[in-house]
Amino acid sequence: MATAVVARPVARPQTRVRDEEVLVWPDLVFVEFIAALIFTLTLFLLAFLVNAPLLDQANGDVTPNPSKAPWYLLNLQELLLHMNPAMAGVIVPTIWLVILGAFPYFDREQEGQGAWFRTENSVRITIASALVGFTGTWALILWDSGKLAQALNSWFGWSGGDRLAFLQSVASIQGQLPWPGWSTQIPYLWFNANILGQTFHHLNFPLFLQSIAIPMGVLVGLPALMIYTLWRLGWVVTRRDALLALFSGFVAAYGVLTLVGTAFRGQSQVLVFPWDLKVSEGIPGQQ
Amino acid sequence: MAVESPTKPTIADKIYDKLFHNYVWKSIFRTGYPNTPRNQMLVVATNVFLHLHPTRIHRTHVKITHTYCLGGLSFFMFLGLTVTGILLMFYYVPSVDRAYLDIQNIQTTVQFGQLMRNMHRWMAHAMVILVFLHMMRVFYTGAYKPPREFNWVVGVILLVLTFLLSFTGYLLPWDQLAFWAITVGTNIAGSAPVLGPKTRFWLLGGFEVGPDSLIRFYTLHVIGLPLLAAIFMAVHFWRIRRDGGLARPL
Repeated sequence: MATAVVARPVARPQTRVRDEEVLVWPDLVFVEFIAALIFTLTLFLLAFLVNAPLLDQANGDVTPNPSKAPWYLLNLQELLLHMNPAMAGVIVPTIWLVILGAFPYFDREQEGQGAWFRTENSVRITIASALVGFTGTWALILWDSGKLAQALNSWFGWSGGDRLAFLQSVASIQGQLPWPGWSTQIPYLWFNANILGQTFHHLNFPLFLQSIAIPMGVLVGLPALMIYTLWRLGWVVTRRDALLALFSGFVAAYGVLTLVGTAFRGQSQVLVFPWDLKVSEGIPGQQ
Repeated sequence: MAVESPTKPTIADKIYDKLFHNYVWKSIFRTGYPNTPRNQMLVVATNVFLHLHPTRIHRTHVKITHTYCLGGLSFFMFLGLTVTGILLMFYYVPSVDRAYLDIQNIQTTVQFGQLMRNMHRWMAHAMVILVFLHMMRVFYTGAYKPPREFNWVVGVILLVLTFLLSFTGYLLPWDQLAFWAITVGTNIAGSAPVLGPKTRFWLLGGFEVGPDSLIRFYTLHVIGLPLLAAIFMAVHFWRIRRDGGLARPL
């Protein structure tokens, strides 16, 4: 008789366990109602206390310095300062959105769903890669704005000399190295290809290196290097782990770019501290 | 042998009966007041707004820390933006001559106009943030995994649509902030190789931000993009149900 009730350790397919279910009304509807109520009240309060900004009427002749896009696009505007505009503004975000959309087609395992950080190592991968994204992005921004060279100079009196001046920023690789004349005129087509008003004929190699090759190398290489390192450490094992590292690094870098573009870019997009931010035109009371 | 004899209905029972079991109530709601499990399930299943939900869900999904309601709140922001947006539309004309004055009017002479504009603005920012946080929630709970692959893609499209909705609304006040933000934003789009200049021209209706840009952004903002977003949201919500509700550990 007792054998009939012995527990069978069999992996059962996911079944609906009625005992573990609750009714949507009232349990879920109540939570939703409270959430909606809290947000409505908070936003009402915010709307009472803080007015939406309204500057002077639009005037195409008066350019504010700096001119900035809406805050959620300032990450792209920040990228623009460091590389070819087409890459920063369109190609990189488009490619990233495609990669983001392709996540579930890359990681097809069903393991680790339905709860926060369910897979092994997921928390440490997330923290590590977010730190890498955060510090890496800050370091790159500081280097490319020349602040790193400045700091080395003022702290250690190390100017690097003329021979190392090209290391000051990405742009100085083009400007400070003795590129031979032919390297700016490398023909790759024997005729002028004209596509929608744009001419394709020769390659300006220093410019290409500075504005496309190096930034692309950094954007692809650094995440790849990070994932490789985490794999060698034994933290990243599955595709899910690789995506965790990639996504967390992205969120951190994206946050830093947005923050820097919003709060650290002053007149002429020079890197300044937030308390030194000034806008020249269009804000009443500020000139 | 103890037999339960029916007790006499109290005055409260009678009022309850009159309120919720009368002809008119039943013509609207079909079920009685949802105070029994049967009626609670029926009300969710038969009400057009509530039937986005299943009638029961797993108890872990009711825990606030599982989703933080981020997806639902994003949708709630969309609804709130629709309401405040419609109210603002009564007073706003998208022409270069009037746009800025209309905003000033809304702020100074329209009853609760400033409040409505503030609400619309802050809700728009909140929606962008909430949608992004919702994406993070879905990612870190592994909820994009099979069979929910396609719904993740729909979500990425909705993220882009949210950005576009906010971006097109940014121009409408026609102040310096709006004008130059859109100039910078569309310059970014215009830098695309080959197609960029054309895209920019098509978006602005000219080579720079002007009267044609205002009407284009307005049309996209109040009807084009919201319709598109509504379609994708319908697919998004439908697919949540079809793919088996919220993701659960295997």
